[in-house]
Amino acid sequence: MLNEIGKQIEQSFAGVSAETGGEYRLKVEADKESVLSILGFLKNHSYDHLALISCVDRIEAGQLELVYLLNSYMESDDRYGEREKGTIILKTTVSREDPEIGTAIHVFQNAEPYERELHEMFGIDFDGHPRQIPLFLEKDYAIPPFRKDFDTRDYVEKELESIPAVED
Amino acid sequence: MEILNEKAVSDSTRELELYFGPQHQGMVGNFSITLKVEGDRIKEATANPGYLHRGFEKLMEYRNWIQNFPLVCRVNVIEPGSMEMVYSRGVERLAGIEVPERAKYVRSIYLELSRAASHLFGLWAYSNMLGFDTVSNWAMYHRDLILDLFEELTGGRVYHIYIWPGGVRRDFPESFPDRIRETLHEIGGKVPDYNNTFFNNRIFHDRAKGIGTINRAEARNMGGTGQVLRATGMKYDIRKVEPYGAYDEVPWDVPTREDGDAYSRIMVVRDELIESVHMIFKLLDRLPEGSVYNRPANPFKWKIPAGESYVRLESSRGELGLYLVSDGGNRPYRVHFRTPSYPHGLTVLEEALKGESISDVGNIMMSLYVTAPEIDR
Repeated sequence: MLNEIGKQIEQSFAGVSAETGGEYRLKVEADKESVLSILGFLKNHSYDHLALISCVDRIEAGQLELVYLLNSYMESDDRYGEREKGTIILKTTVSREDPEIGTAIHVFQNAEPYERELHEMFGIDFDGHPRQIPLFLEKDYAIPPFRKDFDTRDYVEKELESIPAVED
Repeated sequence: MEILNEKAVSDSTRELELYFGPQHQGMVGNFSITLKVEGDRIKEATANPGYLHRGFEKLMEYRNWIQNFPLVCRVNVIEPGSMEMVYSRGVERLAGIEVPERAKYVRSIYLELSRAASHLFGLWAYSNMLGFDTVSNWAMYHRDLILDLFEELTGGRVYHIYIWPGGVRRDFPESFPDRIRETLHEIGGKVPDYNNTFFNNRIFHDRAKGIGTINRAEARNMGGTGQVLRATGMKYDIRKVEPYGAYDEVPWDVPTREDGDAYSRIMVVRDELIESVHMIFKLLDRLPEGSVYNRPANPFKWKIPAGESYVRLESSRGELGLYLVSDGGNRPYRVHFRTPSYPHGLTVLEEALKGESISDVGNIMMSLYVTAPEIDR
């Protein structure tokens, strides 16, 4: 099942590589221009459940890796097939300096909070996102805090040591 | 509730902005919603998470694989068992660690106990919000009985760190299965009382039926799982969809309802609680002999092979996933939890509140079974 979908994606889109990785997992790598159309393609080919959008900071390569995880809802109400077991890991990269990609909200409604979080934590700009406002954090950071060059310990030391101790 | 902003829309109606939570009976922990209302109808709702953001996923990049357990547990305060399980499975998948047969059963029994405790906690919160003090006290008491079992098994009542890569930390103590059975009989014996006082009560029906309805198409488009989806009739449960532990070894059923409203969701919770109890009896009857732990090398010196894994399981609230990346070192390179409350509390909630009354905000939020620490992480 996953093999067939992988082949179909490779045939339908240019510059895309798909390989099965481990049990019931398909890894698809694509460039950022074709990611949104692949998402739409997969939604129409029964991988219609966006489980997660994640990001990995590949600091040595100077790139941010965006990861879309897709599963499949059930075809019938009470029969479990092979298709539902599969997870598709769709990846693309954006540059660390100017990370920008189109929003996936029009394909999956629940992409909204995921993209909002990635904008806040990794500084990725999602083109067309209606509210790229802070989700969790209260203030702006010079470096988005989930990037690898943001040193949590260093930040805590500087922030907390500037607060006078109770005894002083 | 506090009025933040008042704007005259016309002579007869005016639009108010209300702040709901974090201090409110109908609010699940540290979370709040900004409501735009006209009269007592909600026109627009905006979820405000972040009160509990502790940056766990970043902190985990600084600690080695085994040191992360205390953080992992605290992602979902109400049901830490499934968090331990998802992290252990993520590590096992990356490192290729096998789990002995008995450990699979012990894990499943432990997770079902966890689910039952979590559902009782949810029942406490929901009935308390509707003003059923007696029922909420029963639920809290019965949850406490399960916590007593956890205490005997692991030494901790809420955070146990019982499941870890390779199996579980220790085997059941002598005649522990009998004490599980005893406790479950006590809880099961109270089900008729729960039914008479709460689930068949007119007040519950009137308050919950037709409230916060999410149909299947909406649930699917918004990434709904768990009770949100099962309340619309789809038997989507990861324990069946992609089985793990010993869930494919015993027969059991996925309870569903059809209407997609608050009533359906809470009834699904009730049925799941009963199904879990039945399942534990079946698992205990088939519990195989053997070891419960495949001892890997010294956990503090683990180097997990470079790669990535995505694992998922069914927590008490829906699909719980973990995207884990290793660069071959002794610490995770990236950790990202896919928690069920994230889409339910941010996307589904905002949609479900539209057009409802202010008095039903708590009702809808609790029936969506949202827990705040899971959203913030």
